[in-house]
Amino acid sequence: MSDRLTHGEWSDAVESGDLLGQTCSDCGKTQGTPKAACPHCGSRALETVELPTDGVVYTETTINVPPVGIEERGYQVAVVDLGEARVMGRLSDGEVEIGDPVELSGFTEDDDGYVAPAFEPR
Amino acid sequence: MARAAVVGAGMTKFGVHDKPLQELFGEAALPALDDAGVEPSEIDAFYFGNAMSGQAENDTHLGPKLASHVGMAGVPVQRFEDACATSSNAFKNAVEAVDAGVHDVVLVGGVERCTPETGKDTAAMTRIFASASHRQYEQPTGLTFPGVFALFTKRHMHEYGTTEEQLAEVAVKNHGNGALNPNAHFGKETTVEEALDGPIVADPFRLMDCCPFSDGASAVVVVSEELADSYDAPVDVSGVGHATDVVPIGDKETPHVTQAARDAAAQAYEQADTSAAEMDFAEVHDCFTGAEILASEALGLVEDGEGGPAAEAGRTARDGDVPINPSGGLKAKGHPIGATGTAQLVELTEQLRGTAGERQIDGADSAVAHNLGGDAATTVVTVMEARR
Ligand SMILES: [Zn+2]
Repeated sequence: MSDRLTHGEWSDAVESGDLLGQTCSDCGKTQGTPKAACPHCGSRALETVELPTDGVVYTETTINVPPVGIEERGYQVAVVDLGEARVMGRLSDGEVEIGDPVELSGFTEDDDGYVAPAFEPR
Repeated sequence: MARAAVVGAGMTKFGVHDKPLQELFGEAALPALDDAGVEPSEIDAFYFGNAMSGQAENDTHLGPKLASHVGMAGVPVQRFEDACATSSNAFKNAVEAVDAGVHDVVLVGGVERCTPETGKDTAAMTRIFASASHRQYEQPTGLTFPGVFALFTKRHMHEYGTTEEQLAEVAVKNHGNGALNPNAHFGKETTVEEALDGPIVADPFRLMDCCPFSDGASAVVVVSEELADSYDAPVDVSGVGHATDVVPIGDKETPHVTQAARDAAAQAYEQADTSAAEMDFAEVHDCFTGAEILASEALGLVEDGEGGPAAEAGRTARDGDVPINPSGGLKAKGHPIGATGTAQLVELTEQLRGTAGERQIDGADSAVAHNLGGDAATTVVTVMEARR
């Protein structure tokens, strides 16, 4: 299947303010990150879907001891419920708790150019 | 019926060891061979675990290097890497090999050096540990390993009302147990107040909620069930379960239930024809205090949501109804990644033989070990029983 979502396409979407996921045509579950087959049922019938860019914090933590390569301390990482899927991202602004509404605010990029969605309180 | 038996066990003290990996491993492997009363020439194969020495020490292809050092050059060696579940995966494969009649006598062990004193500084090791999370979909957020378990634990706190005080109780208990273990990294007791006063690493975890970076090695000698009686003090391996969960965390169905641990435990109990209720104690992967609470529930030792209250009420203490981590656990005993899994089995062996000294659980006949790797993506659960 040539139209199967790739990491490159997922990243390009994040950089342009969109979030892409995959819905399994067989079991109906939606993932927030690309796979070659459904992690729940193994089906390859995955349809690329646009995820909502606003959601609700599922869980979060504030990291005070960062890995090498990150100078900042006290940044917040959250797993966000976006409709049927969840995505992990960094809070770009403000502080949130579980249950708080957030929206996509941009992205962060690491040393190797890998991007992560950024969220802010809504 | 048992699948295999452990007939020898050895480990180094966990802590700082400024010596090469092969020498460190020798200090666990030779005592394990001596304990079993076997010569290196009697070993059919070596199943070995190391997670991060490629990144941390530029040292790979360790199998033959270690085998040569301990007098076993020539035997088939296979090396396993499964993040923090590394050496329990080596053990699982060794048990399967003797169970299937491929080998009769196998050395299983692991070694790792993770302390800032012997290797990289904290920031660099934090990045190396985080390499076990998803490279594209987790690491770019700046996620660390304390962060991974903080995400699970915060959700657990939200669902069940688990408190920071209950997390601290886990640290206090494990430090108390570690103080009785001469091989523990930390030999000092602590208090809830001290734990709650520490600096925050990744909330809700403070310094005392986190296991240390440790150096160390551990090893066991595994033999087939039929051969076990020809050795002194064999301890039966009656079940080994192994399961994985979806990566990354965002795509797991219910991250805080740690489904892989539930699946692996169900397999291990079923093979052993036993249940959580029959376990006299457990060694669980308490890389963080919250991880012990999740594990106590996933293994069925307490009801879901009761992990925090059980710790607070002393139920998981050595004299409680479900003792957890009498060794001190990763929290106090230490966490040299690739040595952690087999070190849990060293503790099970000593306790089930009744030779654990001051930290002995009275009358321990059955026990379970839970060794977890990555973002709760791999779990190996082992049930061992005293041979009567
Ligand atoms: Zn599916």
